[in-house]
Amino acid sequence: MFIDVIQTMTDGLMIGGLYATVAVGITLVFGIMGILNFAHGQMVMLGAYVAFFFVTAGYGFWLGLAFAMLAMALLGLVMERAVFRFILTDHMGGLTVSLGIILIIENLAAAYFTPDHRNFDPPLKGGVELLGMQFSAQRLLVLALVLVLVTAFYLFLQKTRLGKAIRAMGQNRTGAALVGVQVGQVTAIVFALGSAMAGAAGALYGSLFAITPYMASGPLMKGFILTVLGGLGSVPGAVIAGFLLGIAESFGSRYLSASFRDGYGFILLIAALLLFPRGLFGFSGKEKV
Amino acid sequence: MKTGAWTNKAAAIAAATLTYAAATTTMAIADQTVRIGMVNSLTGPHSGFDLPASEGTLMAFHEINKKGGITVNGEKVTFEIVSEDAQSKPDVAVNAAQKILQNDDIRIVYGIMTSGPGMAAATLFSRSEVLYIGGFTLLDTLLGKPGGELMIRTLNSDAAVAQSFVPQSVKVLGVKKIGIILPNEDVSRSIVETYKPLLEKAGVEVPIVEYFQPSTTDFAPVLRKFQNQGLDGLFVGTNDAVVEAIVRQTTELGGLPKKFMYRGGSGAPGLKYKDQIEGFVWQILTRDLEFGDDPKVQEWKKAYTAFTGKEISPNTYWGLVYYDTVFMMAKAMEQVGSTDDVEAIAKAMKSMTYEGVRTMRFSEEGRARSDIDIGTLLNGKISSVRASAE
Repeated sequence: MFIDVIQTMTDGLMIGGLYATVAVGITLVFGIMGILNFAHGQMVMLGAYVAFFFVTAGYGFWLGLAFAMLAMALLGLVMERAVFRFILTDHMGGLTVSLGIILIIENLAAAYFTPDHRNFDPPLKGGVELLGMQFSAQRLLVLALVLVLVTAFYLFLQKTRLGKAIRAMGQNRTGAALVGVQVGQVTAIVFALGSAMAGAAGALYGSLFAITPYMASGPLMKGFILTVLGGLGSVPGAVIAGFLLGIAESFGSRYLSASFRDGYGFILLIAALLLFPRGLFGFSGKEKV
Repeated sequence: MKTGAWTNKAAAIAAATLTYAAATTTMAIADQTVRIGMVNSLTGPHSGFDLPASEGTLMAFHEINKKGGITVNGEKVTFEIVSEDAQSKPDVAVNAAQKILQNDDIRIVYGIMTSGPGMAAATLFSRSEVLYIGGFTLLDTLLGKPGGELMIRTLNSDAAVAQSFVPQSVKVLGVKKIGIILPNEDVSRSIVETYKPLLEKAGVEVPIVEYFQPSTTDFAPVLRKFQNQGLDGLFVGTNDAVVEAIVRQTTELGGLPKKFMYRGGSGAPGLKYKDQIEGFVWQILTRDLEFGDDPKVQEWKKAYTAFTGKEISPNTYWGLVYYDTVFMMAKAMEQVGSTDDVEAIAKAMKSMTYEGVRTMRFSEEGRARSDIDIGTLLNGKISSVRASAE
C-alpha cells in the first residue's frame, strides 16, 4: 500500500510538472501582463508538432525541444506585434481575437497535419524500478526537465534586469514606464517567453502522449485553472498549483474513479478559492511574482 | 505526408464538389440524376473515421457514374452527392442533417461513424421519410424500433462481432485472466455487457473493469489498478489514440499484462510496440488492407489510391464501411424500379446478399451480417483471419 501511494504521488508530480509548464506561460502573459490569450493551448499543440517533425526527421528529442521553444517564441513574437499589442489588458478583445486565432490554427493544423494522432519516440523508453517501485523512465526525465525549466525561469525573473522589468510591469505598467522600462519591448519579450514555455510544454507533452490538432483544450483549461489557483501572476504559485493538480488527479483516478479525472481539478480550485480567494500565492497587496 | 495532407484538406473542404464533378461527367447521357445526401465529420477529431468512410462512398458513386449509371425502368440514372460536414459535434450534425432534409428530393442519406454526432443526426432522420445508412455503434439501439424502419447500419453490431472475436482472441492469445479498460461512455457499458459474458463463457476470468474519462491521455493512475493483479491480458478500446496510449504506458509502467484484445480501430497501436508486447488482437470490421492478400481488396486499394491520391493508412479500411452498400442500394433501385420508393429500396437491400469487397447482407431490422477480418500480432508475427458472419 505504501509503495502504491508513493508511486501514485510520483505519477501525479510527473503530470503536474507538465501542467505547471503550461501554467507558467499563461501566468506570464495573462497573470502578469494582463493579456488574455486563449490560443496558448494551440502554441502547446504546435510546439508538440515541431518536436514531432524534428524527432521523426532524425534530429532527436533535444533539438526538437529546443526548436519547439524557439519556433513558438518567434510565433508568439509575431502574434504580439501583429495582434495582441493592440488589445493589451482588453480582456474582451483578447478573448475574441484569441478565439479567432484558435479556429485558424486548429483548422490549418488539421488540414496540413491531418487529424490522425501522432507519437514520437522519446529519448528514454520503458520503465525503471526504484526501491521496489515501477516508473516510466521518460516521465522521470520530463519531471526533471520541468524542474530545471521552471527553476531557471524563476531565477530569470528574480535575478535579471529584464526579469525585474517584467515584474515591475506586472505590478504597475504606468509606473514601470515612468521609471524607464520600455513597456512595448518588454511586453513583446514576455509574450515570446510565455510562448516558448508553451513550446517546451508541447514537446514534453508529445514525448509522453499522442499529438493531434485538437489536443489544445485540455492543457489550456488546466493552465487557466492553475493560474487562478496559484494566485494571478505568481510563478511559484502556478508551479505548486500544477503539482497539486497532478497529485489530485492521480490520487482521484487511482483510489476513487478515473471517470472523473478533470473534476478533481475543479474541486481543488473551488476548495482553494473558498479558503484562499486570491489563490494559493495571491497577495492582498499589489506585489506579484 | 504533404500530398496526404493536401488531399485531406481537399476532401474536407470540397467533398461535395468532388462528387458533383464526378456526377456531371456522365450527366449528359443520363435521363435522371438522383441526389443522395451525405453527412460526415469531415473535420474535427472524428474525421479520422468519417473522412475515409466518405471517400469510400464517393468512390462507389463515382464508379457507378463512370460506367454510365444504373438503369431504372429503362431510364439511365446517375447520382449526385450533397455533402454536409458534421464537424464531429452533435449540434453541428443536427444542423447538417436539417440542411440535407431541406432538399425534398433527397430520400437517401449516408454517413457518420461515431455515436455522438451520429445519434443526434439519426434522431432527426428517424422522424423523416428518408432511408438512412450509417455506421455508428449506437445506431443499433434505433434499429427495429419505431422510426428505425428506414435505417441500416453497415457495420456488424458488437453482439455479432463478439461471437467470432472473443473465441478467436482467447485462442490466439491463450489468456485466462484479463482486465477491461474502456472510456466512460454509453457505448462502453454496452461493450462490457456484450463481451464480458462471452469471455467468461470462453473460460476467461474478468476481475477488473475500469472506465476512464474519455479525454484522458495520462493512464498511469488507472493502469496502477491493474498492476500486479496476476492478469495475463487487457481488453481495451475504443479508438487508436486511446489504445496506443494505453499500450505504450503499459510497457513503461511494468507489472502489467503484455497481451491485448482491442475492440475497434486498427492494428496500429499494437504494431507500433510489437517488440515490447507479446500479443495484440484487433477487429477489422471491413477488410484487412495491410496484411491480407484477398485480390478484391488489392484491387480496391489501387482504385482508392487512384481516386483519392492518398496512400493506404491504418484508417483507410473505414473507406469500406459504405462502399459495397452503395452498390447494394443501386441494385435495389434497379430491382424495385424506383429511385424514391425508399421503403421498397430498404426492403430490397435487406433481402439481398451482396458479394462485393465485403460480403454484405442485412437482417430485417437493418443490422449488418457481414464477415469481418481479425488481425493478430503474436510474438512479432502479424496475420489476419476472416471470420464468418454467422
